[in-house]
Amino acid sequence: MAKEVKDLLRDPKILVGMILFPALIYPLMGAAMSISTGSVIETASANMTIYMIDDDGGPLASTLKEFFRGGNFTVEAVEGDPASMAASLHGGDVLIHVPSGFSENITAYRRADIGIFVNFKEFSIVEFIKAGRAEGIVRIFEGAITNALISNAFPNAKAEDILNPVKIDYNSVIRGEAQPINPEVLQNTMRLQGAMGPIVILLVLILAMQVAATSIAVEKEAKTLETLLTIPVSRLSILFSKLIGSFTIAFLASVATVLSFSYYFTTVLGTAAVDQGLDLSVLGIGPSSTGFIVLGATLFGALLSALALALTLGTLAQDVRGAQSLVGVLMVPVIMPMFFIMFGDMSSLPAALQTALYLIPFTYPMLASQALFTGNYGTVFVGLAYMAAFTFVTLYLAAKVFSSERIMTARLSFRLGRIKR
Amino acid sequence: MEYVVRLKDLVKDYGGRKALDGITMQIEEGEIFGLIGPNGAGKTTTLRIISTIIKPTAGQALVCGIDVLKAPNEVRKLISYLPDEAGAYPNLSGEEYLKLMASFYFESGKGIGEALEEGRKISGLGERLKEKSSTYSRGMKRRLQLARTLMVKPKLAILDEPTSGLDVTHAYHLRNVIREYARTHSTTILLSSHNMLEVEHLCDRVSFINEGKLVESGSPQELKSRYGARNLEEAFMKVVGVA
Repeated sequence: MAKEVKDLLRDPKILVGMILFPALIYPLMGAAMSISTGSVIETASANMTIYMIDDDGGPLASTLKEFFRGGNFTVEAVEGDPASMAASLHGGDVLIHVPSGFSENITAYRRADIGIFVNFKEFSIVEFIKAGRAEGIVRIFEGAITNALISNAFPNAKAEDILNPVKIDYNSVIRGEAQPINPEVLQNTMRLQGAMGPIVILLVLILAMQVAATSIAVEKEAKTLETLLTIPVSRLSILFSKLIGSFTIAFLASVATVLSFSYYFTTVLGTAAVDQGLDLSVLGIGPSSTGFIVLGATLFGALLSALALALTLGTLAQDVRGAQSLVGVLMVPVIMPMFFIMFGDMSSLPAALQTALYLIPFTYPMLASQALFTGNYGTVFVGLAYMAAFTFVTLYLAAKVFSSERIMTARLSFRLGRIKR
Repeated sequence: MEYVVRLKDLVKDYGGRKALDGITMQIEEGEIFGLIGPNGAGKTTTLRIISTIIKPTAGQALVCGIDVLKAPNEVRKLISYLPDEAGAYPNLSGEEYLKLMASFYFESGKGIGEALEEGRKISGLGERLKEKSSTYSRGMKRRLQLARTLMVKPKLAILDEPTSGLDVTHAYHLRNVIREYARTHSTTILLSSHNMLEVEHLCDRVSFINEGKLVESGSPQELKSRYGARNLEEAFMKVVGVA
């Protein structure tokens, strides 16, 4: 077993590709995003010149200029045709055209036009942000005008009440108790937190299968298999060493990826995704320790059966590339349950599809990760019994292949579509 | 008399193609025994059956009286096999590889240490043993593999084409090591080769194998005299009816 782990960890392809790369890629991505975002924010919040053609000359055009100045803009008056003038400006520069009659229309309760011209040269984020900043000031000005107009017309009313005459008090009834929570916020939170489980499970399964499937092919390619089969170690020991070795590498790779992704997600993006949502455990629908034990059990079963399947299939390959192609076949039953469970609801699927999914052992960790929040463990417990039987059969098959000469002589012939010996 | 290797009517059928067709032979303790024949004659199949890698379709193979089919794990404790194309784990140094392989045969650190020391001596690779085996030339890799095979002091060493594809320097080194090791350790050695001149100088007894059948056996001297041949190559050609 120590040989397996040591040899795998010393393989630069595995160390770099499966552990170091995932561990570094997200922080590096985050760092790159931080640097560019930082420079964008700096540019966008700096003092900006706004070009204005004032054909109105009225009091509200002057008020608009004051709003711009208050928003850290320098207002530069220009004259001429707005489109031609805007075309002569730098990339990202904004020109405001206040047409004649602007102030008069507003004070007469008529809609007034205003022109915003943005000169795009590189279509960069900075250019779009500058355009957004200019529009933002116009919107603030519009809000202030609206409030002023309403207050003038209805001195005894609040402008906000007239603008939003209906206020919704949201309530979500969770486990029989009404909670003042917007269902949309609840859905977003559950989707965000619930999605991590299946994604991590998928990652662990795929990584483990890749390592397991290639482990025999690596021995074949390095011409070490024949020697390995003649040392005084039982074939079952070799099988279990390879299972444990693959599991260890998959575990390390998953930890590296999850830590790296979490760092990127919470620290770098600064979204604090969970903060935006809700603390589900306070609502009684957070993950429980029983839930994690069940999830762990289903994941362990799925991993063992996936590894045994991948190892058995891997013995048919002559080299690493062949093993990787073969393991691709196993990806379909691993990925399918994730899509259906992440984006849908098992109970709403057609009966035939439900049966197919229940026959796939990799469905149950996904259901268990969902049950963490829903508490519906019924199907998962039945699935655990099915998985135990499935895992036993796959391990038995793997042991049979390892104990026979097929490990040396079996070939999968795609051309003939059958196994040659 | 207890033979180290005893094969009785050994047959191996690869789905319609008979690789071995009733091989019967014995090897005595301390012998260097050569299995000689052209490519595809059945040499490697015979060695793989004795090494417990593949199973015979019919017949029996015994190593020190133990049936390779009934107790393969017991047989593996007595043998050490050098395949025709053997490699080492490329990410391990030569020394780490030898130590790892020794650990499968010995439980105590002392046993592993002694085997490692023996391996160092047999390989003759000196300081290069500290480098990764992926940096070795073909000859160096073969020396490392021969060291791995012999350092564990097996009852039976099985060497499949031990010097095949090597230049004269490495081949000469390996032949000397095999001869010297067999003499000093009384280890039984079963080797296959299609280089008959090499076998003539190395083996106490040889068997000619052709198309899955043993066609003649004896000491090199006996076989040459029996067929009035100048060397084993000529004797073999006369036996198979070509010369």
